[in-house]
Amino acid sequence: MKKEDTVKLISAEGFEFVISKEAAMVSQTIRNMLTSPGGFAETEHGEVTFPEISTTILEKICQYFYWSLQYSRGKETDFHIEPELTLELMMAANYLHT
Amino acid sequence: MERERESELVRLCIEAACQSGESVQKWRRQRRSLERLPAHLADSLLRHLIRRRLIFPSLLEVFKHNAEAIELRGENSVDAEWMAYLGAFRYLRSLNVADCRRVTSSALWALTGMTCLKELDLSRCLKVTDAGMKHLLSISTLEKLWLSETGLTADGIALLSSLQNLSVLDLSGLPVTDLVLRSLQVLTKLEYLDLWGSQVSNRGAAVLKMFPRLSFLNLAWTGVTKLPNISSLECLNLSNCTIDSILEGNGNKAPLAKISLASTTFINEREAFLYIETSLLSFLDVSNSSLSRFCFLTQMKALEHLDLSSSMIGDDSVEMVACVGANLRNLNLSNTRFSSAGVGILAGHLPNLEILSLSGTQIDDYAISYMSMMPSLKFIDISNTDIKGMYPSGQMNVLFSAYCFMIVYNLFLHAYGYVIFPSSVLAGFIQQVGAETDLVLSLTALQNLNHLERLNLEQTQVSDATLFPLSTFKELIHLSLRNASLTDVSLHQLSSLSKLTNLSIRDAVLTNSGLGSFKPPRSLKLLDLHGGWLLTEDAILQFCKMHPRIEVWHELSVICPSDQIGSNGPSPSRTSLRASLVKQKQDPMPMSHSFLDQRLKYSREELLELQYSSLSLARPDDSSTQDAMGLR
Repeated sequence: MKKEDTVKLISAEGFEFVISKEAAMVSQTIRNMLTSPGGFAETEHGEVTFPEISTTILEKICQYFYWSLQYSRGKETDFHIEPELTLELMMAANYLHT
Repeated sequence: MERERESELVRLCIEAACQSGESVQKWRRQRRSLERLPAHLADSLLRHLIRRRLIFPSLLEVFKHNAEAIELRGENSVDAEWMAYLGAFRYLRSLNVADCRRVTSSALWALTGMTCLKELDLSRCLKVTDAGMKHLLSISTLEKLWLSETGLTADGIALLSSLQNLSVLDLSGLPVTDLVLRSLQVLTKLEYLDLWGSQVSNRGAAVLKMFPRLSFLNLAWTGVTKLPNISSLECLNLSNCTIDSILEGNGNKAPLAKISLASTTFINEREAFLYIETSLLSFLDVSNSSLSRFCFLTQMKALEHLDLSSSMIGDDSVEMVACVGANLRNLNLSNTRFSSAGVGILAGHLPNLEILSLSGTQIDDYAISYMSMMPSLKFIDISNTDIKGMYPSGQMNVLFSAYCFMIVYNLFLHAYGYVIFPSSVLAGFIQQVGAETDLVLSLTALQNLNHLERLNLEQTQVSDATLFPLSTFKELIHLSLRNASLTDVSLHQLSSLSKLTNLSIRDAVLTNSGLGSFKPPRSLKLLDLHGGWLLTEDAILQFCKMHPRIEVWHELSVICPSDQIGSNGPSPSRTSLRASLVKQKQDPMPMSHSFLDQRLKYSREELLELQYSSLSLARPDDSSTQDAMGLR
């Protein structure tokens, strides 16, 4: 995959997740950051830092992006969420509009 | 509404969090996360926990820092302990504990001094009395308060005058007297006041003009006969009152948009609408009222919803209804003296009519062709009428009686698993009948209505043959049929309705094999087979198994034949067969007037015997064949 087709998501602890731009765009918030013409630093470097989102949650979010893409293409599987993650994941999802 | 705003992943998280009691235990100790939860997520999570019955008082506590709106309507477990926790919710803005019968006056003590509470619904909490009101007086932020049918007396209601921010006050079903109403005059922010069933009389009604912002007023079931002018009024309900004058007085006329006068008796009919500004009126209900003249309708050009059911209106006043014209969306003329001629006059004048009810009127099949000239119709109710599905064409043709015989004969053989005339032969025969006897299938006319979604043909004279055009109504979502002459043929015709979600085909002579071979439309969610007396439990269960998405309604098949005999008419409880197979008690139901129900005439055994006698009666001659078969 070419570099310009990917985006780097960085968690509160500094872990980096490199995922495809298409998957990241599942989040309305990230989509706005990457496409707005204002010349955000995020747009130029393809990097977004989330100081509020822990590594565990960000990993789950990335899994969800890919699951959501597949689901929209007709692959009907369940997305499992561990009960202990629900609260934090819910807040992250709320922030990311996904 | 709010659920729609939630994003997909939030929804999945909430579902996972409310999966079971164990999943709740996994997150309820995460205090720091819970405190950070935004209010709308907290409310949403709480709502799901309540719906899934996973909430208990001590779990409520974790939401005390963020919940803003809580709805516990009808939860029987809600008691003083719950209220004690809820009283500690710092940001609670709205609390609904309507129908929670264990909420008492002393339980309300916990709410004392809440600082954000604006809305409180205590409707039908019978144990809330005057003592409870004293606890509420400290919540000066209250803006909306529902106290309908609680245990309050006039003394308790009078206390409310100190809640100066009230804009919505529901005191319905309470002993509000004229004196108490006068003491509430200080509530000048009041916009909504519900007083149905109270003891307010004309003296109290005179006070109502002192509320400068009052826009909604309900005085149904009271002794008020004269209502003075209230110039801010938009919605008025005076149903079940005896009325002398409405809104008579000085000042600007009220900008009324809605008025309900159902079952109202008018002392002075000529002046009933004299003081009402009719140009803005969009909703008028005069059903079952004493009105006999309807000239006032000609002034009401903005009406969208008009209910004239069970009133004295008939064909002679139809021009008045036609005058209302282009804005009308919903017209209810059921149980009036309307006939097809009246519908004919309406046709062409109501281009935007979406809902039309003519149930229980004298209309016949000609009315259907007039309905086809109302292009926006979505919902037609022509139940309980003489609709036959075809234009009456003098004598019934021999061919047609032969067809009827064929259907019946086929039915009895069907019950035993034989197929003599397949459905396709019958369908072909129908068209032949139509052609050779010059019968016009009246329902064909409705094919022009591109928006038709709901059709109610219960208790009409339609038959398998005349329902044939229904199979082409592609937009139909709800269809209700109820007629003892319908058979498997009708059921099978409906397979082609691709958008149908609710199908009710009651009291029909459907057979097990007919149900087994029925290919339901993919969209079908509910199939109501009540009164389908030939169906057995096994056949229905088999059908449910084959089509797990469809909910099937039927009285019970585990019952013996003698029980089934009494089972015509609407069953008192509509239990989903999938949900429970509890034996239902059958109430004696009023008989339908339109036909003699064969189930009352014969026992099941006798009916099965008739099958053999039908062979010997198979002479093409007389009408007694039909009689014996129960067809007329």
